[in-house]
Amino acid sequence: MRTPKVLLAALAAVSVALAACGGSDNSSNDKASTSAAPAKLSGSVDVWIMDPGSPKIQGVVKGYATSFQAAHPGTTVNIEFVPWAQAHDKFTTSIAGGKTPDVAEMGTTWTPEFADEGAFEQVPKPKPGVYVSSLIDAATLDGKIWGKPWYAGSRALIYRKDVLAKAGVKPPTNWSEMIAAAKAIKAKVPGIYPTGYTGLTEHMYLPTIWQAGGQIAKQDGKSWTSELNTPQAVEAIRFYTDFYKEGLTPKAAIGWEEPDAQTAFINGDIAMLIGGGWTYNSIIQTKPAMKAKIGTELEPAGPSGKDTAFAGGSHLVVFNGSKNKDLANAFVDYMLEPANLNKFTGEIGFLPGTVGGIKASGYLDDPVRKPFAEQLLDHSAVYPPSPRWGALEGANIFDGEIQKVMRGTQTPQQAAQNLAKKMDEEFAG
Amino acid sequence: MSTTSGQAVAAGRLRAPRPSAAERMMRAASKLTLPVILLLPAMTIIVGLVGYPLVKTIWLSFTDTRLGDLINGTSTWIGLENYKEVFTDEQLRTSLVNTVVFGSACVIGTMILGMCVALLLNQRLRFNWFFSLAVLLPWAVPAIAASSIFKWLFDDRYGFINWALVGLGFDHFKDYAWFADRNSAYVAMFVVVVWQSFPFIALSLLAGLQTVPKDTLDAAAVDGANAMQRFRLVTLPLLRPIIAVLVIFSTIWDFKIFDQVYVLAPGVPDRAADTAAVTSYRESFALGHFGTGAAIAVVLFLVLLVFSIAYVRLIGKEARA
Repeated sequence: MRTPKVLLAALAAVSVALAACGGSDNSSNDKASTSAAPAKLSGSVDVWIMDPGSPKIQGVVKGYATSFQAAHPGTTVNIEFVPWAQAHDKFTTSIAGGKTPDVAEMGTTWTPEFADEGAFEQVPKPKPGVYVSSLIDAATLDGKIWGKPWYAGSRALIYRKDVLAKAGVKPPTNWSEMIAAAKAIKAKVPGIYPTGYTGLTEHMYLPTIWQAGGQIAKQDGKSWTSELNTPQAVEAIRFYTDFYKEGLTPKAAIGWEEPDAQTAFINGDIAMLIGGGWTYNSIIQTKPAMKAKIGTELEPAGPSGKDTAFAGGSHLVVFNGSKNKDLANAFVDYMLEPANLNKFTGEIGFLPGTVGGIKASGYLDDPVRKPFAEQLLDHSAVYPPSPRWGALEGANIFDGEIQKVMRGTQTPQQAAQNLAKKMDEEFAG
Repeated sequence: MSTTSGQAVAAGRLRAPRPSAAERMMRAASKLTLPVILLLPAMTIIVGLVGYPLVKTIWLSFTDTRLGDLINGTSTWIGLENYKEVFTDEQLRTSLVNTVVFGSACVIGTMILGMCVALLLNQRLRFNWFFSLAVLLPWAVPAIAASSIFKWLFDDRYGFINWALVGLGFDHFKDYAWFADRNSAYVAMFVVVVWQSFPFIALSLLAGLQTVPKDTLDAAAVDGANAMQRFRLVTLPLLRPIIAVLVIFSTIWDFKIFDQVYVLAPGVPDRAADTAAVTSYRESFALGHFGTGAAIAVVLFLVLLVFSIAYVRLIGKEARA
């Protein structure tokens, strides 16, 4: 009887001690890379790409690896897809543990953050006019550039033409039309919710602050201060959350991530969605029958007359810890070759990060896709490129306060005040 | 042990003259060599896998450490600041309260369900072996997989649970969003956690039940005790030691709960349903505040240490008895 008890006691001690380390994360990184001779490429690199959410687009990325390996015998490119929602945590974990991939796709708002920690290889200054300039700005920290622009995009309004017709409303172009349309759909079209404004998608609600005529933060030298404690921000939060409070958005949407809203649209559960060209592509690839029913429009303009959306996108970065930087850089450049780039952006529904690529994309000639391109080129803005921004996003600081307003446990004013305080704390470090 | 050394001392006293001090030390050393060598591999593993992370976590909890500090080793010592934050910041404090309340509820739920299932399996039913096997299955499902499955079962529009509840006449559950509210999210997570942890409890209790002497139960029956009385007055007291151990085990497991909450609770408004383990992880890896994250982990560790000490003492008492 004695031995098993001692064993059990030891087990208990171990299990308690393990609690202290929190969740253990197994980064499955087999570092098989050998140091490459500079002339000939060899060895292997690990590449993390954000999961584009459709097998077809995954196929394009995997195709890069296959064709690159064919062109450079003796090299291996391991592609791993990382869901956006977990990506920030995963990068932090990998950097903290010294187990980074060699190459990764990096959301533009995260590039300054991780560059500030010294995670990336510096990129030589490109010739002006090659890349979309706002994407270079987003990759710049202290005058140095840390990632190469891959693609960019902006969200616009995606709606169901048939549902709006049944409700007898025109596609909304401003806030009051948006509210009126939502109420008409709720009244006249049963079984479908008017909107899919989620509680966990800051790219849906933060731009409403711009639309209301406000700013998110202002820069003063090197430091940033929040601009959320303003009447404009309060008005934006009220506009966004009222849809939930008035039952114009599904009850579960308070806990949705952006892909959940997309799924709901595909399932015919919501009639209007804020989404990008990539969302549109995903929808019609998953459910081709929906193509004829979808219309697009610029985001509804706020009381200030602005219809600004967030200009998002991705950089390709090479990590400092890479043991095979030659191969890593070669693969990045290969992905950015015009023919390869357009294959991806065309499929995923983003615009290429290079100026030549945008001209060749043909987006402006397609009536349904045109609003996405217009939105990016003329009606978009970027979040403050502060190294702290990524952490603000990663911590869902905005989401929590917005959700509390959605639930009615605090007012838009309180949310704006709390957010301004939290942002300033984080900006101050 | 004491008898052997006693014999050795006695033997020493008989033999004259006494060995020199140096000789005695040599002998003691050689006596120690083998145990030390035998213990070394285990000790290395325990120190490496348990000691190092533990010490490092405790050290981190007294520092202000960002991601960059972790890479460059430039953390600043800030004393008890992180602990102050853990107990004053509303969200962090809530996560500790959540852990204790939700963890305790899960322990109670698991024990009750486990006991019921054990009593059923202890009946001599046909196909008992089949049921015993089936009971094990939830335990064999990885927690992350089970949580993802339950996330779908609890889906507002397409989930089986809402569909079934509406079918049973509870119209309130049409499109009911389980994870839009803290309390209903806890109900769902309670179901997942209990479903996953009762098998171990049930089988352990079953093993215990099978050691309850049949004669005693028969004697009680002859004395006129009904089934309920036999359970309460005979079975339960005999099972007490094993129940105590299982309660402590479950407490340690359920207070550390991570996977289920991580998968099911991220959408709960303001993350109000997060437990300490998840908050510690998010504070560290989402916000990059490794010091604060470590402080939460240490507080959780101390709470669990109390239970572990209780457990070890309990085991000690029984071993002596």
